[in-house]
Amino acid sequence: MEEVGFLGLGIMGKAMAMNLLRHGFKVTVWNRTLSRCDELVEHGASVAKTPAAVVKKCKYTIAMLSDPSAALSVVFDKDGVLEEICSGKGYIDMSTVDADTSSKISEAITSKGGSFLEAPVSGSKKPAEDGQLVILAAGEKALYEEAIPAFDVMGKKSFFLGQVGNGAKMKLVVNMIMGSMLNAFSEGLVLADRSGLNPQTLLDVLDLGGIANPMFRMKGPTMIQNSYSPAFPLKHQQKDMRLALALGDENAVSMPVAAAANEAFKKARSMGLGDLDFSAVFEAVKGPEKSS
Amino acid sequence: MAMTFVKANQLSTAILTSPPKTTVSTAMAMCSSFSPRITKQFRGRPISSFPVKPLFSGSFKAFSSQATTKADDIPARVGFLGLGIMGSPMAQNLIKAGCDVTVWNRTKSKCDPLVSLGAKYKSFPEEVAASCDVTFAMLADPESAVEVACGKHGAASGMSPGKGYVDISTVDADTSKLISGHIKATGALFLEAPVSGSKKPAEDGQLIFLAAGDRYLYEIVAPFLDIMGKSRFYLGDVGNGAAMKLVVNMIMGSMMASFSEGLLLSEKVGLDPSVLVEVVSQGAISAPMFSTKGPSMVQSQYPTAFPLKHQQKDLRLALGLAESVSQHTPIAAAANELYKVAKSRGLSDQDFSAVIEALKAKLQHQTK
Repeated sequence: MEEVGFLGLGIMGKAMAMNLLRHGFKVTVWNRTLSRCDELVEHGASVAKTPAAVVKKCKYTIAMLSDPSAALSVVFDKDGVLEEICSGKGYIDMSTVDADTSSKISEAITSKGGSFLEAPVSGSKKPAEDGQLVILAAGEKALYEEAIPAFDVMGKKSFFLGQVGNGAKMKLVVNMIMGSMLNAFSEGLVLADRSGLNPQTLLDVLDLGGIANPMFRMKGPTMIQNSYSPAFPLKHQQKDMRLALALGDENAVSMPVAAAANEAFKKARSMGLGDLDFSAVFEAVKGPEKSS
Repeated sequence: MAMTFVKANQLSTAILTSPPKTTVSTAMAMCSSFSPRITKQFRGRPISSFPVKPLFSGSFKAFSSQATTKADDIPARVGFLGLGIMGSPMAQNLIKAGCDVTVWNRTKSKCDPLVSLGAKYKSFPEEVAASCDVTFAMLADPESAVEVACGKHGAASGMSPGKGYVDISTVDADTSKLISGHIKATGALFLEAPVSGSKKPAEDGQLIFLAAGDRYLYEIVAPFLDIMGKSRFYLGDVGNGAAMKLVVNMIMGSMMASFSEGLLLSEKVGLDPSVLVEVVSQGAISAPMFSTKGPSMVQSQYPTAFPLKHQQKDLRLALGLAESVSQHTPIAAAANELYKVAKSRGLSDQDFSAVIEALKAKLQHQTK
């Protein structure tokens, strides 16, 4: 694969770009805060000053931004992607956004002759570092085929889901389930504790049965210790729940559990926990300390 | 102290060497594989973990007869009350392992397969309890558990010092304590031991026991639990096992409701729900339950491994537990409402994954 551009070196982007470098890809990076590029430069990346400069240099550009407004910004703003995108170039947006944002970006890119693929990922910091992401691509099939070598480095499995919007929707559905599950888990941990049970024992029991899953296994122990070092910031999880609920609204789909989970994430944000790992919703679920 | 060890070991020896009802070779094979495990359990265990003196001299008497060399003549007799989706395979596993099993079920015909495998039958829980050393009970809900244990011709009427009652039904803590009180009033020992796991784990002997109550009885019945299950926990006082089970099933019920929302949403926005199932199975939220039930849910099929009515019962009891400790549980409450809707649509006896129907706009008529 030819030179790849990479826009956005946050928790995810940095790890993903690093993986590409380690596997022999030539990568040119850009980040709004330039200092985050330094480590990648040490590993062989080039730096460009603007998203437009990256696109000018590279046949394919991958973007990994934190939310819809950042994703739109790098495309539409001055010195953005649109200034240099053209026929023969591909833009792969791996940010998690709503379907409308993705469609907007897709239209803008393709109207300038470029090809577009949305490819949000399932997986957080560690899977990103380990190249174990699950990639949910949709849009131009030909670009998907060309991107496979990069996807194989960054992820363990890729899906091509059809038209633009399908990747975004799939990602939101998955994260909606994840957010509700973490809330259910939190309620269980609190109830175990308040009933005089050992929360660690609950973790041990859960890990043996039909509802065992990597998320409980990973987050359970740190939650019990009230430790929430961010692998997936809570504010992003709440954003995803909100977008999923909006999708449900648009299609008149009943989602009472997701709605309740969203409330808990909102409460956690109002408690100032937005930048912590999304498992910090546990603090919101615990509620105020009472003397019983 | 040494006597306590002896009596426990003698009982387990008695169980293992009792004349099997089915093929001798199978039972003996099971015996030899269980023997080392039993020994290991008691090896190195601090004496202080057993009661200083036997709490029930009666029990000592009943088991101490094993101290003679006639261990083979007095097998440990196991009773089993309740042969539903769970009880039937569990009892079968005990019989197949060579245990001496006596069964009872409210609907007598359910006992027939067990009897043809070699189980004995009695007409009332009282008679089962009276003729057995340890009696297990696997009933559907608190009401049945109380009725079988404490009702007319109930198990408690047949219990006495030297016997044990192990209630593996899923009930609330208060019900468990009520039953415990009635059983222990007779001088017998009591253990609650609800299980995590449904039909298939029951058939495969892969259940997880969440036991609490008389520690000594727990140690005695450990070999039986190991036949029926893959792991067991001792959680302390009566009520702790019940609470742990309710917490687990509260999480499970909420997870299934959330998964249902996801499947339905994916379908409504033009995605293939089967692909969602596959995507989920690849990531951090991949759980056996989703992989097992997802495909059939996508087909609107809900073969019953765990009846929806029991899941709703468990959620209701869990919410009761949460209320008793003043805990706010909005997710579980929202999930519970969905199960109630599903019940009102006639889906009580379907698998609990049928909760997805509660989210759908139109009524799906379920044929029997």
